[in-house]
Amino acid sequence: MEPEWLEPASLGDALALRAERDDATVVAGGTFVGILVNQGLLAPTAFLSLGRVPDLAFVRADDELRLGAMTTHRAVELSPVVRERWPALAETFGVVASPRVRNRATVGGVLGDADYASDPPAMLAALGARVVARSAGGEREIPAEDLIVGYYETSLGSGELIVEVRVPGGEHRATYRKFRTRSHEDRPCVGVAVCRRPDGLRVVVGAVADRPQYFPELCDPDADPAAVGRAYAEAIDPIADVSGSSDYRRRVIAVEVRRALEALAA
Amino acid sequence: MTDPRVTGSARYAEDLELPGMLHARVVRSLYPHARILGVEGSRVPSSCVVLGPDDVRELGRYGCQIQDQTVLAVDRARFVGDPVAAVAAPTLREADEAALSVDVDYEELPAVYDAVEAAAPGAPLVHDAAVAGGAAAYFAMRPQPGTNVCHRFRIRHGDVEAGFAEADVVVERTYRTAGAQHAHMEPHACVARWDSDLLELWTGTQTPFNVREDLARVFGVAEDRIRLVSPPMGGAFGAKTFVRVEAIAAALARKAGRPVKLVLPRSEEWQTLNRHPATIVVRLGARSDGTLIAKQITCYADTGAYADCGPGVAQKMGFSAPGPYRIPNVSVDAFCVYTNLPPNGAFRGYGQMQSTWASERAMDELADALGIDPLDLRLQNVLREGERYCTGETLHDVRFAECLEAAAEAIGWREGRRGKGLSLVMKGMQTPSRAAIVVEAGDDGGYVLRCATAEMGQGARHAISLLAAELLGVEPESIRFPDPDTSLVPYDTRTTSSRSTYMMGRALVEAVRDLRESGGRRGLGEVRDEGGLDPDTGQGVASTHWHQGAAAAVVDVDTETGLIAVSRLHTSTYAGRVVNRPGAELQTEGSMIMGLGTALFEEVVQLDGQVTNANLSDYPIPAFADIPVQLTHDLLEREGAEIHGLGETALPPVPPAIGNAVASLGIDLADLPMKPEAVLAAIEARQGAVA
Repeated sequence: MEPEWLEPASLGDALALRAERDDATVVAGGTFVGILVNQGLLAPTAFLSLGRVPDLAFVRADDELRLGAMTTHRAVELSPVVRERWPALAETFGVVASPRVRNRATVGGVLGDADYASDPPAMLAALGARVVARSAGGEREIPAEDLIVGYYETSLGSGELIVEVRVPGGEHRATYRKFRTRSHEDRPCVGVAVCRRPDGLRVVVGAVADRPQYFPELCDPDADPAAVGRAYAEAIDPIADVSGSSDYRRRVIAVEVRRALEALAA
Repeated sequence: MTDPRVTGSARYAEDLELPGMLHARVVRSLYPHARILGVEGSRVPSSCVVLGPDDVRELGRYGCQIQDQTVLAVDRARFVGDPVAAVAAPTLREADEAALSVDVDYEELPAVYDAVEAAAPGAPLVHDAAVAGGAAAYFAMRPQPGTNVCHRFRIRHGDVEAGFAEADVVVERTYRTAGAQHAHMEPHACVARWDSDLLELWTGTQTPFNVREDLARVFGVAEDRIRLVSPPMGGAFGAKTFVRVEAIAAALARKAGRPVKLVLPRSEEWQTLNRHPATIVVRLGARSDGTLIAKQITCYADTGAYADCGPGVAQKMGFSAPGPYRIPNVSVDAFCVYTNLPPNGAFRGYGQMQSTWASERAMDELADALGIDPLDLRLQNVLREGERYCTGETLHDVRFAECLEAAAEAIGWREGRRGKGLSLVMKGMQTPSRAAIVVEAGDDGGYVLRCATAEMGQGARHAISLLAAELLGVEPESIRFPDPDTSLVPYDTRTTSSRSTYMMGRALVEAVRDLRESGGRRGLGEVRDEGGLDPDTGQGVASTHWHQGAAAAVVDVDTETGLIAVSRLHTSTYAGRVVNRPGAELQTEGSMIMGLGTALFEEVVQLDGQVTNANLSDYPIPAFADIPVQLTHDLLEREGAEIHGLGETALPPVPPAIGNAVASLGIDLADLPMKPEAVLAAIEARQGAVA
């Protein structure tokens, strides 16, 4: 049967449909959902497209950065204000797949998919971003590190949609290291996001487990980078996939966390 | 002239729509090896047509070299993806649903996934009995009864054991190469229609006459009752050779009484044809002064569940494995082995990459053991003009040394060898082979070329049109070159093995001569190259025309993560005479980039016979950002030389050039792709050896 294509033209209608139709898969840019459908891994009875909902694609900056859920990766990558004030974030969105994908894939989509091998979730968590989830009943903020809870699983409620992501401003240094074992357009084997602020350090490792790996107790801002790398490598129980075995990932985590911290110090 | 591929006006087989046409889907085996107990289509809606084993049981078998394939698996499925049924429906969506509602009962059988294991006595047999050789087999088959070996090829030259006895240094190692997917942009696509007893097919194929021959046998009709048109293809690289989707589409169309279109979804490409994984054992001996004295090679080519052109691939892997060197004692045993994996077949160079990887890595290992510079070792032993190959044939227009020296020069070999690697390739062309072309004068002062050379993006038609324009003294724009149509063009062996510009170019010269001699309206030209090898001794003519080339690479290795970065890649290929320079350059660059993917990361991964990365996200191919900052090449020419084919030559030497560059850093790898994990393991092995 042909799946139903729901295409609300307002956020209100989208939230109402989201509450009513828990059989509907939300579609933003479609780059991830499209792959799952083509591979036969997903065959929902309905799609809820956000493509016609107005005012969800924006980049606004004051004290903090606000990215609309339908903002494309490419828009974040090329935004002058993001490049100037949150350069590591622009860089992270800029290393995802290819320009063809980045022109479609969205900020809300990459978070909502909760794919373990995406780049931006780790960086957003390291930057201390909050994800704004709205439902017919209101709005709440979810710390980025608490959004993804397992493979393709989020802490969003059944009636909630991601509408915005808020990234704190203020003094910080951050970097993202995407380690690929195959093509440059491949997903990461290990992705390391680090951010140092006056009040502390955050190290988040992506693509190595069901969700981005963040261990606040291991993020001693004064520790030796190599020691933090080793501690992360020990703390994580890495997965194995076509990009690398579990043992290999563990070795790379130690190296890449150290290198990321060294890059910040440089 | 605007290229129709750029404007979007090019029409591929997939674009063809016929009135009343149905859309097809294939139902594929979920098991690597299973008895088919029943195929049940009663849940399929009546608007759809189901093709099951009983519809094809009485049809003939096909197979370009061994007739081991039925239109659908009849009693046994032999790999995950083996077609067990097919459906046709008014829309693709209905076809998808119909395919899901076909029920198949299986009883699992033991399976085997490795060619070396499969060749051993006692392995589960993929086919119970050896089957007859196919029409496109251009050599005698040597199946080994009671085993999975469907063809064995040997070279016996000199006395290899006596040679090793005289050697001062002998190196021996087993090399492995992974399976790969062609990843042609346009999937396999075919439209079939029956008009009473005439079968018409529009299919993206490199081998229109071979497909026609096989289909005539399947349907029990005369070849002239089949008309096959080959529209331009969006890439092929060997994947669109021989019968792929045509037999199923034609059988469905016959049962439906309506035209049927079958276009493969991307994931099914990995279940349709891949490149042969290979295991190659090389033993190579030399005197202490570097003179090669003996070489023994054992190759296992994993051809998957059906032979396809695997016997030819294994044979070519075998006859090219000695390499372009003067070696008095050579022994080769090459085995084409069935396994319960998807079929493997032609892949831009037909076994050549696999044997070049093993052979050229072995040369560097030997150089290392002898303490001789790898360039000097090669130059000391390389075949020169007029020398004989181990097959007994004399080589002409030999340019290996020039290719190698040019490649070495390009990367500054003499200024320091660290991080640098070289390799050399000697690649045969389809032999024996035939080509023919008709040139017709049009009323408008232009000419029409009628031949079976297929366009798959390689630019063969453009190159042949340029040659025709030059011979006929007209502008290239006044040459027309319609899609090959077997009812209108003379027989040609096929568009493979970098043969078209060379073979069809020579036929064209004859056709233009005939046109002039016969009054200027129509000319026919035909060329035939004879040859072939004795499968038991490897003596004869392996190739009437050898492709010659060298590659050079500069690499850096991240010793903490094992990542290889190729900063410079260069190939030097003997072109003889360049016909279409931009086309020749693009073919060369495309080959190099494909070689880079093979070297570093391309690999068909399977688990219990199931391909686990059958999509372009889990199976990446090189992207622009993967291309070395310096990717360069030379096309060597010689005044008065023949045209040399260029479509594949620059691929096989790339992986060993990179492997040898990595080895120059003390990191010794034997398997492709050179994964970072293997690099780390090799570094540890070296540290272990030092400690």
